[in-house]
Amino acid sequence: MSQGTSTMIARTRRSETDDRELLARIAAGGEDAFTELVRRYQRRFYGIARRMLGDDREAEDAVQTAFLRIHRHAAAYREEWSGATWLYRILTNVVIDHWRKRRRLGEVPLSATDVVGTAVNVERVDVDRALAKLPAEARAILLLCYVEELPYAEIARARGISINTVKTQLLRAKGLMRRYLKR
Amino acid sequence: MIHGTHDHDFRSVLAPPAAPAGLAERVLQAARERRETGALALRFDIAASERGVARLHPGKGEIRAESRRARTLAERAREELSEYLEGLRSYFTVPIDLAATAGFQRAVLEAARAIPFGEVRSYGWVAEHIGKPRAVRAVGTALGRNPVPLVVPCHRVLRSDGSLGGYGLGLDLKSRLLSLERETPAIVGSDTTRIVCRHGCPNEQRIAERHRVVFATIAEARQAGYRRCRRCLPADH
Repeated sequence: MSQGTSTMIARTRRSETDDRELLARIAAGGEDAFTELVRRYQRRFYGIARRMLGDDREAEDAVQTAFLRIHRHAAAYREEWSGATWLYRILTNVVIDHWRKRRRLGEVPLSATDVVGTAVNVERVDVDRALAKLPAEARAILLLCYVEELPYAEIARARGISINTVKTQLLRAKGLMRRYLKR
Repeated sequence: MIHGTHDHDFRSVLAPPAAPAGLAERVLQAARERRETGALALRFDIAASERGVARLHPGKGEIRAESRRARTLAERAREELSEYLEGLRSYFTVPIDLAATAGFQRAVLEAARAIPFGEVRSYGWVAEHIGKPRAVRAVGTALGRNPVPLVVPCHRVLRSDGSLGGYGLGLDLKSRLLSLERETPAIVGSDTTRIVCRHGCPNEQRIAERHRVVFATIAEARQAGYRRCRRCLPADH
């Protein structure tokens, strides 16, 4: 094993114990632990929510909701789960629910900040449009795999589905994305 | 943009934009506000008849009921109210007694009751819905005199330009209730029973947080191998 890999594993393990400890402290009413968790996960949560919803404001709303749920339900966390998996389940639950409500209102917003004629922004809008056409579940799984780089088993656990369903949903999502982005 | 079929292409294409400045601070502020909203249920005065909850307004947390059944209904209302304000419930099952209202006002309140959790309508929509499209202002007045706010969700009615309009219990509470509803999930399943419920269904309330899975639609829940709860019958609208 290279030194780089072993350092990475050591880092992952350390943050894993930290997550568990933080959740236990939040359950016991520790506000500083909640503050620390928010600071630690806000970027990652925002990344998933932003890609999932395609809109800056909605992404921020969803991130906020997810943290509030974590705050309220920290006592329900059980240590047999990896801390991060539990957090991602709550986040994806929230984000999918946001998507559902918006879909029922019949709007698929793309934020004004994206609709600027530069090459980079055009690319962002294309990816958001393509993602918006995917079913919500497949999209969440695609993002957990390629943005968060979670292993299949963790994705399965975070979404309450089997590993085989993760694989089929991923294949489907990737096939559709390729088709949408080639146009 | 995705030139080949390799995984690293997906990684770079999907890389999300950076989080906005001050996000963490806004989240922490919202958490503080939420704690205050949850505590509200205990401060409502509730009056009930044998038929249902008749009045609800901020006070000292007193209950007014003429019979044992009425008292049970008022207590049930407080419990559901408290679950609702804590984001644990998306609908009320306690009956409502609108006998003190009549005619136009009654029709307006019934229309407001039809607005689903987490959604909003305009004053104009309510006016059209009851067949009086020109009575937009009167609709506002009728909603302002809602005897059972929250349970009859007059807070889901906004101006057509999206601004808040009015609210008998204060605009601050109106906007808090709307954001609470945006944040509360509606279709929740258990990964042990593989059943999906409406949020607030007794079966749903028994699901431990770690077994909770939220779905966008019933159709997607079905695809993932979940079936609908027979008690609350969740549906796609």
